[in-house]
Amino acid sequence: MARFVLSRALKAVLTVWIAITSTFFLLRLLPGDPTTLMVEGDMTPEMQAALLKTYGLDRPLWEQYVSYLRELVQGNLGISFRQIQPVVDIIVDRLPWTLLLAGTAFVVTVAVGIPIGVAAAVNRGRWLDRALQALGIGGHALFVPSVAMLLLVFLGARLGWFPIGGAIDPDTRGAAAYLSLAHHLVLPVLSLVLVQLGPYALTLRTNMIEVLGEDYIRAAQARGLSARRRVWKHGLRNAILPALTLMGLQLGTLVGGAVLTETVFAYPGVGRLIFEAVGQQDYPVLQGAFIMLAVTVVFANALTDMFYAVLNPRIRL
Amino acid sequence: MSAPVLTEQAVPPVAPAVARRSWFAYLRQPSAALSVLVLVVMVALALLAPVIADEPAGAGPDVLQPPSGAHWFGTDDLGQDIFAQVVWGTRTSLVIGLAASLIAIVLGTAIGLASAYFRPIDAVATVVTDVMLALPTLPLMIMLAAVVNPSLWTLTLIIGFFAWPEVARLIRSQGLVISAMPYIDGARVLGASGWRIVTREILPAVVSLVIVSVLLTASRAVISEAGLSFLGLGDPDAWSWGRILLNAQRSGVVAIAWWQTLFPSLAILLLVLAATVAGMRFNDTRDPRRNGA
Repeated sequence: MARFVLSRALKAVLTVWIAITSTFFLLRLLPGDPTTLMVEGDMTPEMQAALLKTYGLDRPLWEQYVSYLRELVQGNLGISFRQIQPVVDIIVDRLPWTLLLAGTAFVVTVAVGIPIGVAAAVNRGRWLDRALQALGIGGHALFVPSVAMLLLVFLGARLGWFPIGGAIDPDTRGAAAYLSLAHHLVLPVLSLVLVQLGPYALTLRTNMIEVLGEDYIRAAQARGLSARRRVWKHGLRNAILPALTLMGLQLGTLVGGAVLTETVFAYPGVGRLIFEAVGQQDYPVLQGAFIMLAVTVVFANALTDMFYAVLNPRIRL
Repeated sequence: MSAPVLTEQAVPPVAPAVARRSWFAYLRQPSAALSVLVLVVMVALALLAPVIADEPAGAGPDVLQPPSGAHWFGTDDLGQDIFAQVVWGTRTSLVIGLAASLIAIVLGTAIGLASAYFRPIDAVATVVTDVMLALPTLPLMIMLAAVVNPSLWTLTLIIGFFAWPEVARLIRSQGLVISAMPYIDGARVLGASGWRIVTREILPAVVSLVIVSVLLTASRAVISEAGLSFLGLGDPDAWSWGRILLNAQRSGVVAIAWWQTLFPSLAILLLVLAATVAGMRFNDTRDPRRNGA
């Protein structure tokens, strides 16, 4: 077990390192490199040179890479071009909001997706099953900002049921603050869940149907176990494992969806930060945000894999 | 969320007569016929855009009009016609969707086939594919698109470059099944080169999967393009569905002008749904277990 955990963690570190290295060189080899982006037209050559020196952009590429890595390991992601502040501070301020949003969407998708997927598998060919198949395919065609903006227009602005932006009402204290937090979270989470739920539940249904045809389920039936017990205890336990890994693999998509949702609802997470940084061409913030999100996704994915190994009796390590 | 929508199985190449019959069987399914029809209409809209509507530019007198006979999809805060924007946006979505998909297909097929047949390549290719699939693609594309000057070209390259790993994985898994078949051993015994085996023996066997991948990858590329344009990274000189949504968001009239959100959203939904369903039905048709061929 310890060996598996170690090797999975190593793989995650390797993935992050490859990502950081390749994006570092790609960004500096692209035609519009950061040097030209950050230098304003009305600067004198001396000012330009001084600015480049401040950011270390005048040194050879290789040297820049080594010092970049060294700083990165110490938790330094550089300085924002626009808000003269360390990138890591800006992102750490915003990251909890994104984790809250994506994490809630993840839990809700799994919690709602499992009963739907199981019910569709048990009632194969009935209306729920057919509806799920349509939703499963339709989910691939949903564009997150479309869903988010339509929810905002109709449930937020027209009906006034939910706030149309932000994450919390700053004037609330105590229990009211938590309530306000939850109230602001509803529409952004709903946007992500609506897009993910169909495909997720459909995959679970497919796994479940396969599992329900296995010998041990028929053996359970022969032993006289009730249908309810067979499905929920024996079947689900085995169907849920692949579905969990699948969800882990989808974390990247979930984070991408969060970037778009946060933009629509002015939610103060990393996604909204990315949108603002695009407008200001604040390139260290974009690179830092990508790295932080990549680290989060890769390690969350590794955790799901470890969880899988713990739960699955067939992989006793 | 993109759960795998394809079943993978090896299908030997079919004779032309059978192929014609299966095209007919394909179009006889109502959902496939409808999807193909939607795709054809979209292509026609894109080609005929200048005939159908003037390219929206400058401000007009009718500001924030709801849908009416004069403006089918209403107007935005500058008085521009949303219908014209959606029609012109079809061009961008289709061009980028198709071109990016082709890049991804060529790269993905080449890498997938090479790693299915040549062991040493497989080790490297699998690591690269795994790394790319593990990363959050949208933030990565945003970072690159922000640095280069956004144009149809650069967007296509960026989207195409990050879409190949899924194709490679799909083609590799089927290529591995084919590589293990006796006729491949036969070709090797007869002295065929690796290149010949991959291009003449394995490639024809995965070609229908490649066609399916073109459609599915194109639909993902359309979503990616809309996402980047929505974040302000689109080609500033070309209309795009994502850009219409961005304008609605920026102008602060989202709450009033629901039509500015609804119609481009429907366009994205229709195009992506049609491409996905067309691809999935094609995949079903070539499955011999379903049509009993």
